[in-house]
Amino acid sequence: MELIERGEGEMNGVGNVFFWIITFFVLFVIVAPLAWIYLTAFKAPNDIFATEAKKLIFFQPTTENFHRLFREFPFWDNFLNTVIISVSSTVVVLVIASLAAYSFARWNTGKGHLLFNTISTRMFPGVVAAIPFFVMYRNLGLLDTRFGLTLLHIYFNVSFATFLLYGFFKEIPEELEQAAMIDGYSRADIFRRVVLPLVRPGIAVTAVFCLVWSWNEFLFSFLFTRMAARPVTVLISSFWGSIEVQYGPMAAGAAIAILPTLLVSWFMQRYIIRGLTFGAVKG
Amino acid sequence: MAEVRLENVVKMYGKKMAIRGVSFTCREGEFFSILGPTGAGKTTILKMIAGIENVTSGTIYFDDRVIHHLPPQERNVSMAFETYNLYPHMTVYDNIAFPLRAPRWRLKLTPAEEKRRVEEIASFLGIEKLFDRLPQNLSGGQKQRVSLARALVRRAEVYLLDEPIAHLDAKLKFSTQTLLKEFAQQYGSTVIYVTHDFREALALSDQMVVLRRGVVEQEGTPEEVYYSPRTDFVGRLVGDPPMNLIDGEVIFQGEEVTFRKGEDFVFRLRGELAGKAKEVIQERNGKPMVCLGIRPEHIRLGEERSSENSFALPIYAVIHESESSVVTFRLRDNTFLYVRTVGFCKYGKAERVWLDFNPDWIFFYRKTVEVAKEGSSER
Repeated sequence: MELIERGEGEMNGVGNVFFWIITFFVLFVIVAPLAWIYLTAFKAPNDIFATEAKKLIFFQPTTENFHRLFREFPFWDNFLNTVIISVSSTVVVLVIASLAAYSFARWNTGKGHLLFNTISTRMFPGVVAAIPFFVMYRNLGLLDTRFGLTLLHIYFNVSFATFLLYGFFKEIPEELEQAAMIDGYSRADIFRRVVLPLVRPGIAVTAVFCLVWSWNEFLFSFLFTRMAARPVTVLISSFWGSIEVQYGPMAAGAAIAILPTLLVSWFMQRYIIRGLTFGAVKG
Repeated sequence: MAEVRLENVVKMYGKKMAIRGVSFTCREGEFFSILGPTGAGKTTILKMIAGIENVTSGTIYFDDRVIHHLPPQERNVSMAFETYNLYPHMTVYDNIAFPLRAPRWRLKLTPAEEKRRVEEIASFLGIEKLFDRLPQNLSGGQKQRVSLARALVRRAEVYLLDEPIAHLDAKLKFSTQTLLKEFAQQYGSTVIYVTHDFREALALSDQMVVLRRGVVEQEGTPEEVYYSPRTDFVGRLVGDPPMNLIDGEVIFQGEEVTFRKGEDFVFRLRGELAGKAKEVIQERNGKPMVCLGIRPEHIRLGEERSSENSFALPIYAVIHESESSVVTFRLRDNTFLYVRTVGFCKYGKAERVWLDFNPDWIFFYRKTVEVAKEGSSER
């Protein structure tokens, strides 16, 4: 008995060391860039370019970068664009994708071909679609409009969201819906009162993924907007000019822009983990 | 309440025929059972009546209305599933109340009325203490009773119950049977009850059908099904121990007709019996063969030969049950013969006793089931 316990203890010791090494490594990879952004955001220009190692962390904090960002650049306008585009595209995507995924999962609509077709829009590089879209948008007058960019985000997220939700809907036993039919409920009522509550974790996960993707989306925002509908990601990239790189306002902008996605992921953590393992262990 | 009538109902799953032309009538207010082994198609029939499976061909009537083309919501049936199908995100109370809240039935109950209805059925089934629990926190037996409560809470035209007490323990099974019978009588409900347990079917039904591979083998009252099984399959399925089936040759010598099974089992068929046997003769290996069936309680044991329908055999095993004993004999070809004695059996193993066959309770069948021999398993 004693032997076995000691054996386990030793294993734990070695295991522990590895566990902490890997944890610290992963933590460093994730936290270091974030820390750099937040530290830079509060540094005066001189401190940003200082070569002394201790200046990396110890410096006189200032909000100068934020003041410049708000005064000299249309940061809040662009931020608002990002909010409107990502939230509205996510809402529309969830409505379309949940109905589509339910249809694929319950009635095998299109016998798999349609589902594959939907997913395949995600398989080619986005840039390939950019050229025809650009020509189309120019003719329709949708360039540099929030509506236009929202439509593009919907187009790209619907396929992914449908694919993700399909798995969740597939998990719901058909007999449960049959029971509800016998209990006297219409298809629409069953969807609302039985199916939707059961896929709620799945919808939460999908919503977070769509929101974060749309929030961070750069390529199409860069190609399809100029000023009026420009989202914050494009603004931040514009600090990387041909003459100089304005690290201060860039870090300040990034520091604010990543906050919402960080917060959403933090609050939805429980749902996301439950959602991703949904069905792995049947309850 | 409605009468349910099936006419020549067929169900195909792809090329497989699950139901092969089933017809029966369940009269209004009747407790009607469908009995059959696993895979006989009992649940399929129930689901077709409920409307969650399509009918391939044939007609289903409620009274004189053809209903098999209607969706389940239009049929006003309620059903308890063998797999419970409780809504996992709702509490027990909400699960039971769910059918009452469907806009389709236009019940518009006040919360107080709803509560009264739910509590009534829940206390009937002894689950009123579970109201706040979620289905995942219930035992199998509790889930089954919740599912039964959900099926019975609403006044429906027809109640469809699919093995509703199969997962209850013996005591609860008995009390729930009593409750079900009481419920059916109190509300004069039409109940169609699916089970694989002949005891439940015999105990509860006014009328029953025995189903085998999608075909009705027999329709009748429990008494008819038990005391005059129409086929060897019914005799074998209904009864424990099952009906004795002895496969043998019919020999005609002038006026005399005898049934012979090997050397140790020769039986003279007089009067009606000879006629009954002739009706079902099958040629097998060039011999006229029939299958003789007799229930274990229609064989009497004695120390002396009491009639010419008696045979002496050594006892193979004796099993004492509470109010009777089952005595097993083994014929030379390894078929078992079961005899049920009233009261405690006084004979012991290997003792040679006389078996007296009561000719009034002998049946002859065309052979359709293979009776298990020693070392093989039935079904």
